[in-house]
Amino acid sequence: MSAQGLYTRRRITNAIAMTFGTAATVLGLFFLVWILWLTLINGISALHGSLFTKITAYGPQGGLANAIVGSLMMDLIALLICTPIGVMAGTWLAEYARLTRLGTVIRFLNDILLSAPSIVLGLFVYMIIVLPMSNMTHGAVSFSGFAGGVALALIGLPVIVRTTDEMLQLVPSTLREAALALGVPQWKLTMQILLRAASSGIVTGVLLALARLAGETAPLLFTAFGNNFMTAHPLDKMASVPVAIYQYTNDPDPTLHAIAWAGALVITLFVLALSLLTRLFFSRKKVSYG
Amino acid sequence: MDDRASAIATPAADTAHRIKIRVHDLHFHYKEFHALKGISMDIPEKQVTAIIGPSGCGKSTLLRIFNRIYAIYPGMEAKGKILVDGEDILDTRYSMNRLRSKIGMVFQKPVPFPMTIFENVAYGIRHHEKLSKANMANRVEEALHSAALWSEVKDKLKQNALSLSGGQQQRLCIARAIALKPEVLLLDEPTSALDPIATGRIEQLVEELKSQFTIVMVTHNMQQAARCSDQTAFMYLGELIEFEQTEKIFTKPDKKQTEDYITGRFG
Repeated sequence: MSAQGLYTRRRITNAIAMTFGTAATVLGLFFLVWILWLTLINGISALHGSLFTKITAYGPQGGLANAIVGSLMMDLIALLICTPIGVMAGTWLAEYARLTRLGTVIRFLNDILLSAPSIVLGLFVYMIIVLPMSNMTHGAVSFSGFAGGVALALIGLPVIVRTTDEMLQLVPSTLREAALALGVPQWKLTMQILLRAASSGIVTGVLLALARLAGETAPLLFTAFGNNFMTAHPLDKMASVPVAIYQYTNDPDPTLHAIAWAGALVITLFVLALSLLTRLFFSRKKVSYG
Repeated sequence: MDDRASAIATPAADTAHRIKIRVHDLHFHYKEFHALKGISMDIPEKQVTAIIGPSGCGKSTLLRIFNRIYAIYPGMEAKGKILVDGEDILDTRYSMNRLRSKIGMVFQKPVPFPMTIFENVAYGIRHHEKLSKANMANRVEEALHSAALWSEVKDKLKQNALSLSGGQQQRLCIARAIALKPEVLLLDEPTSALDPIATGRIEQLVEELKSQFTIVMVTHNMQQAARCSDQTAFMYLGELIEFEQTEKIFTKPDKKQTEDYITGRFG
């Protein structure tokens, strides 16, 4: 084939690949924008002040105040549990077990947990926390915000383990050598240098985990259950925005549908704010190891 | 020191200096790979010794045995003896803390710690000594002076070290190493990531530092070895081919292989 023919063929192949790539992007964005648009226009019509002040007990005349407080409470419990465990486990994987067989196996198991159906995690927490607590207290405490928080922690945990592991692996090995060459012991190196070098990535991982677990419904069904009244006590049954949305959309009353849309908008904006915060965190770190 | 007769000992003309590091029949294995094959050499005190050779000849490997930094990776094994002031550092009874405070190292790429300029220098000291605040400040200043960095950073000691230029970062790494008052300084291609001006400053610094430290420097830059070192070792395929006064190596080498490498016929 002549050089000219070769160039023409490449140009055509390039144009075809470009067309398919662009089309795929447009298709994906189309649905994404559609979803966001629907959430926005349907949500904004019900986004009144009463959404944040009234509780779900008033039904169509109420708001989501107790659900928002419950969500924040359970997200907080989840983060308090999964952040330290996740960061420590990720550190162990990256710094102490990077090339070992055990480390590889655990990294693989963590990836499985990352993609485990969230309802399974809810059932698991039902079995290990809700039932035993109910038995111990003769039914006084069964479903609880605490159990919901634990279920959400199981959603966030593998995200944090994974990002901590990956961020620490990105820290150049020469940094480790430089510290060890000064006689600094491994634990000091890990705690004072490596975690600091990887800190913005690890914080990003925590925020990502929070964004992920904030929208979860399934793990809360058998754990926090739901509650029409305001409570922040971790041993009470607790409402949450995703579960409220789930319940309201199953109701024939269109007013409740509107409140559910507003709840969906609130969660979307919350996750959006988290993503922006994440970006801010990364851009703030102007200097890094090239 | 009476085995002057051995095949490769101190470079002939250099009997004025005491021997700081005596390497005896050193072998190094990385899994199946025999990386160093019976290296023996005497490194004199308070001199600059350069190690040159083509990529993969084992020069960095040799340097990384001197402070046992190789041991942090699995599957590596060093056999033989490395006597520093007469004590074998490969003996597992030789304390790692003592070894690492006695032998400092500077790496190819500047790697400041993610903390302030001051903390970068103070960090290592703090692990080995308890100093008062004033004493620590003095120690840090002294180290930064020795590394010819003080005038450039004295007004921004609280700034993040990663904001310095590459050449400044490398001098900070040197300051960090000499702040521990080591006796030996290992430099592993310390200028290969730097521009010519920064390289010139580091070379000048090496010249100044040799009155206080025994310096062993790996370099792939032959001109650098010729400019900075008192004696030069040429390595090839894991063996020490020739170890002589730098002037002799670069003008009248004994071995054909050395001459071929120096004149650019291979490597």
